[in-house]
Amino acid sequence: MRRLAVAICLSAGVLAVGWPADALARIKLITLPVRERVEIQLDNPHATLVEEERIVPLVEGVNQVDFSWANTQIDPQTIVFRVLGPAAEKKADDKQPDDKQQADEKEGAEAGPLDVKVLSVSYPPNEAALVWQVSSSGSGAARVRISYLLGNLNKSFNYRAVAARDESTLTLSQYIRLQNLANEAFGSTGLWAGFGPRFSKPIGINQTKEMLIAKYEKVPVKKTYTANPQAFGYLDQPQNKLRIPMHYVLKNDRQNKMGEAALEAGKVRIFQEDGRGSTAFLGEDWGRFTPRDDEMRLYLGVAQDIVVKRTIDKNVVRRVAGNLHHREVVLKYEIENFKDQPAKLDVVENLHYVRGEVQGDTGRDVEWELGKETTFAGGPDKEQSAYDQAVFHVDLPARTADGKAKKFVYKLHVILKNEW
Amino acid sequence: MRTVSMAMIGSALACCFWLALQAGPAQAENIDLSTVPDRQSVQLTIYNSEDLTLVRETRKVSFKPGVNPLQFSWAGTLIDPSSVELRFLSHADKLDVLDTTFPHDKPQMLYWNVQSEIEGEAAIEITYFTSGITWSANYQAIANREETQLALEGFVRVSNNSGEEYEDAQVRLVVGTINLVEKIAQLAQIPMSQVKSLEKADFDGLRLRGAMMLMDAPKAGAAGVSAPAEAKQIIKEGLSEYFIYTIDGTETIPNGWSKQLRSFEGHAVSFKIQYRCRPNEYGDQLVRMYLLANDEASKLGTTPLPDGVFRVFRDNGRDGLSFLIAQQIKYVPIDDKIEINLGVDPEVLFELVKLRSSRDNLWVQIHGTNTFKQVGGDRQEVDERSTVAGWDDRVVFAQRVRNYTAKPIEVEIRRSFGGHAVFRSALAAKNHDYQTVEYAAKVAPGAKAELKYELLTHQGRNAKQANVTIEGAEIK
Repeated sequence: MRRLAVAICLSAGVLAVGWPADALARIKLITLPVRERVEIQLDNPHATLVEEERIVPLVEGVNQVDFSWANTQIDPQTIVFRVLGPAAEKKADDKQPDDKQQADEKEGAEAGPLDVKVLSVSYPPNEAALVWQVSSSGSGAARVRISYLLGNLNKSFNYRAVAARDESTLTLSQYIRLQNLANEAFGSTGLWAGFGPRFSKPIGINQTKEMLIAKYEKVPVKKTYTANPQAFGYLDQPQNKLRIPMHYVLKNDRQNKMGEAALEAGKVRIFQEDGRGSTAFLGEDWGRFTPRDDEMRLYLGVAQDIVVKRTIDKNVVRRVAGNLHHREVVLKYEIENFKDQPAKLDVVENLHYVRGEVQGDTGRDVEWELGKETTFAGGPDKEQSAYDQAVFHVDLPARTADGKAKKFVYKLHVILKNEW
Repeated sequence: MRTVSMAMIGSALACCFWLALQAGPAQAENIDLSTVPDRQSVQLTIYNSEDLTLVRETRKVSFKPGVNPLQFSWAGTLIDPSSVELRFLSHADKLDVLDTTFPHDKPQMLYWNVQSEIEGEAAIEITYFTSGITWSANYQAIANREETQLALEGFVRVSNNSGEEYEDAQVRLVVGTINLVEKIAQLAQIPMSQVKSLEKADFDGLRLRGAMMLMDAPKAGAAGVSAPAEAKQIIKEGLSEYFIYTIDGTETIPNGWSKQLRSFEGHAVSFKIQYRCRPNEYGDQLVRMYLLANDEASKLGTTPLPDGVFRVFRDNGRDGLSFLIAQQIKYVPIDDKIEINLGVDPEVLFELVKLRSSRDNLWVQIHGTNTFKQVGGDRQEVDERSTVAGWDDRVVFAQRVRNYTAKPIEVEIRRSFGGHAVFRSALAAKNHDYQTVEYAAKVAPGAKAELKYELLTHQGRNAKQANVTIEGAEIK
């Protein structure tokens, strides 16, 4: 169903430059130029731009071109009317013109036989319409492009991630989903998201169309287990057992077979190959906007087979002067891996959180250093640690053949300095 | 008495060919005869900042010696009755307005009794204020694919919701905010602070005179009908502190309609792209800016740019446009800058990371005294009965910029710091103001920049000033 219409009133001889005299006329003859080409530009995160080309027959003199719409959310302030040139200059097809072709067209438009100008735009009251007054140096057809922002033509992104059986790689498919609630049907329409391929598809009213925009095959993936009481809390606080979430971590860079563009935010459905030619659904998560070179972390749930007990082993104040003191805190972690596979555990401590536990919040930045009782091998990960956060990695072997999990004990000794 | 107002012609002038109202025997109560002189010309001067339009219309009226009654009515319009004035453009020395009557039973009407010494035609001018006619500016800019030049068009849109259709009107648009209060104060010979306390009738009368003082009569060369196939020119003239846009020829804008005309066009307007972080202006983020100037070098500069919405598109290199932003701009004088904020560029990553934080130069105050002692090494005991009274916070930051665009980018960053602060860095920083530091960087395509600085803030008794100073230092 067409809701947008362009009408050309063949009244050129009658019109003066002032007000369109036939606005009040009861007898009109109009032509209805059809769309020759439609492009929907989805590259702006907040707005959808529709561009349509029509071949408009013009007579010599001043022509009235009516553009009206009903039940659609066209923003009339954004409507741009451009004359591309004589109709014969360009065939309506879906091919992308190269630079030379564009330049030729421009030149053709300038040197073409028709000199077409927009004289004014008028907006009638209480109508979703506008009227262009267009002057033409002669009679003939001109190719025009009308661009406007259209509401309720929404896009979103979603992903399908299929992890290999051994969880070392993952195939990530990115889809764009276009939902047309704009109350306007578009025939074969060019669609472009600002990256990836350009599609040419029809989109009917109330239709939703999903298109594969990128597929990243066998991307290396890290499966992480994280102990971070500040971010994820406790699974069982009376027993000091931390909640240990699991994540797939993908790095959006060239080394990891990605990095072509930022990954837009969207829902990720996560599957794993089951080794029998099919896949098992592991869950879903919201993938955040991931710029190039950044990591996308996909939450997989809470690990039940890795147990971490965290206790504060030591809390001693060393007075410096008056109420000024240093505070020594030792955190102890007892870690067991009940899985049949080895695992890598990230232990993350936020020092503001630690100070809050033993002293309360002072509102000041935390100044700290590692103490000698720390037993994590290799020290903190410099890339992932921050001024108020220490990150350590622990390799956990699989449980032994007799089914027993070995208990590992680590200590983190921090000195909180210059507190009062 | 028949009302001469018509549906589409809200304001009308009728010459009533009965004798003067005071002449008892000839006064008709219910049967009238009147003629309706047409408008010869009409000029609209639209003061957008006040929802105020000064209408100046001329008509030709035949007078006979003696008293001639004129009826002026404006049913269904937004004319301010107190502002209606009559002036004689010809035979002014032989025509006088004896009185003006506002009949109690017809609210949108008045009568003038004109004493004439002539028999024949005279040109009269009627001026009044109406509201409901507004104009606005808007701009459309299309950047080329390389983002080096803009095709810039400026438009003015006139909307008529006044209830009256002004046919073939010369339209003048006042650019800038008119300060009628000052004119009113001048005319009333009172201080500006007392303008608000004027009676409404006095205020309106003075406002009309004030506005008229600002505007000259229509310039002879400004009117006239242009060739039908040419886009209309908008003539821009400076007047006092204001700019007047006069639309070429005449316009008819029916009641309820709006009409948009191009006010200027700039081809190949050059501009520059800069990335800016100015939290006070754009929030705490790095935004992409198009910077251009309303000057001749940029192929503009013929007129100030009135307030309006600036819409920016870009040739997307795929035979189409990308919509970038719609932004309200403030009035831009000739030679001034035009700055368009396109928002955050997802291809440029901007992160401020706190690398480390420490405290030193600690001072304690001995309780009950005015004695302060500096704290030395960790093992030094100063006094048990003392409290920290002053210290310096040292925080090292890294401002990281990653450029994933295909071009080098220019980044300008402003950071404001409260209290007594020292900005220590090897960056070429300068003070933007007493508490704001500005520094810049260029980042090559695909490159990452890490701009490090240490912020030293004197706290407690150590703080002696409330400003930020810059100190050159290598920060690791």
